[in-house]
Amino acid sequence: MPDEATPVPSPELKAEIKKLIIETLKISDVKPEDIDDSASLFENNPVLQLDSVDALEIVMALQRTYGVHIDDQNIGRFIIKSVDSIAEFVAKEKAKASGK
Amino acid sequence: MSRIPFEHKLAAHCESGMLSALLKHKGVTLSEPMVLGLTGAIFFVFIKTPHMVFPVFDMRSRPGDMRKNLGKRLGIRFRTQNFRDPAKARASLDSLVEQGIPTTVQVDMFYMDYIPSYMRTHFNAHFIIVVGKEGNDFLVSDCYYPSISKLSQESLDKARFAKSDFAPKGFQFYIESLPQNGVSETAIKDAVLTGIKQGASNMIKLPVPFIGIKGMRRFADNIPSWPKIARNADALSHAIMSIHITLEERGTGGGGFRFMYASFLQEAARLCNRPEFSDMSKRIMAIGDRWREISLFVARIGKDRDLGDNRMQEIRGMIRSQADQEEAFFKDLLAMVK
Repeated sequence: MPDEATPVPSPELKAEIKKLIIETLKISDVKPEDIDDSASLFENNPVLQLDSVDALEIVMALQRTYGVHIDDQNIGRFIIKSVDSIAEFVAKEKAKASGK
Repeated sequence: MSRIPFEHKLAAHCESGMLSALLKHKGVTLSEPMVLGLTGAIFFVFIKTPHMVFPVFDMRSRPGDMRKNLGKRLGIRFRTQNFRDPAKARASLDSLVEQGIPTTVQVDMFYMDYIPSYMRTHFNAHFIIVVGKEGNDFLVSDCYYPSISKLSQESLDKARFAKSDFAPKGFQFYIESLPQNGVSETAIKDAVLTGIKQGASNMIKLPVPFIGIKGMRRFADNIPSWPKIARNADALSHAIMSIHITLEERGTGGGGFRFMYASFLQEAARLCNRPEFSDMSKRIMAIGDRWREISLFVARIGKDRDLGDNRMQEIRGMIRSQADQEEAFFKDLLAMVK
């Protein structure tokens, strides 16, 4: 749950993240609009069904694109649980970096 | 019913995270990276026993060493106990919880049934802290899980008396006492320097061919032989993928503990007023990034079954290059604390 200081991620950021996931994992038969913002990207996801290797690919793509470093896979697995949770994390890190 | 007020926190690694949480409960603030660094736990060991087809490696010191070094360096007394009889182990744990003492138990992670089944494997050197009891369920703080969870007495018994490598044998411990005047900042500063010295010496000085940089090169050079000893492509893929698991998924904090060590050096720079540690932090962070790239590379080729001899040579080259980088890094680091 976001606390009061957590910035609300924009719909544009969420769309960007969906595009990033699709491009990074080279999934040709899924469009950004097929991905539900709040659905788990891993378990029981009828569209994506990602695994831990995909998770690492996403972590590294987030680092390249937004300069955010997810050091720890234990904590990372809660961050990259869904598009919503990734967007919250990126928005928070961006705000931190810009000193807001 | 009893519940000890206990601050639960997610952590990267069970042993360092659990020790940091136990200390916090006693009023001593020591972050997880500080526990790793000042206990000199940064490591590399090449492991090959006669019953293993493929060698494996680890990038931290032996389970238990962090606790022992923490005790020795900061004057903290831990009371440790082993049991052969599950009933006696349970009675002792009940009594400690009743007295309000958070108690760490060693368990087989497979029986931690609050963790989703796809994340659970048999691993006998997992540590959790028991912080209460409700009926027949224990309340446990497991730093791999976001909240304090319930674990049935039956599951905990199975987990504490699981067999095989690193069998827990009912092992439990708790903090018996801190130094009379508490843990001073001076003691922590001294421990930081001792921990850096120990970690760097283990990596470059030990005259043992399977430890530190020597072990890293030995592991790298062994990989090209794997296609010949693997009984089929699945077995080879599994062995190659295990490199990824050891680097990223076994509670290493990413990059085979190197990211966590980078955080430690950042904290050490501030605490000891040694800005050069901050530069070293950036260097080990970059080394960790390359370990992560290796992890992704092996995971990709393992998944795609792209496991030709040329790929094995590539992995060998990448790990040898890491060995060169780490050798230079730890030599420079050791020179700073001599």
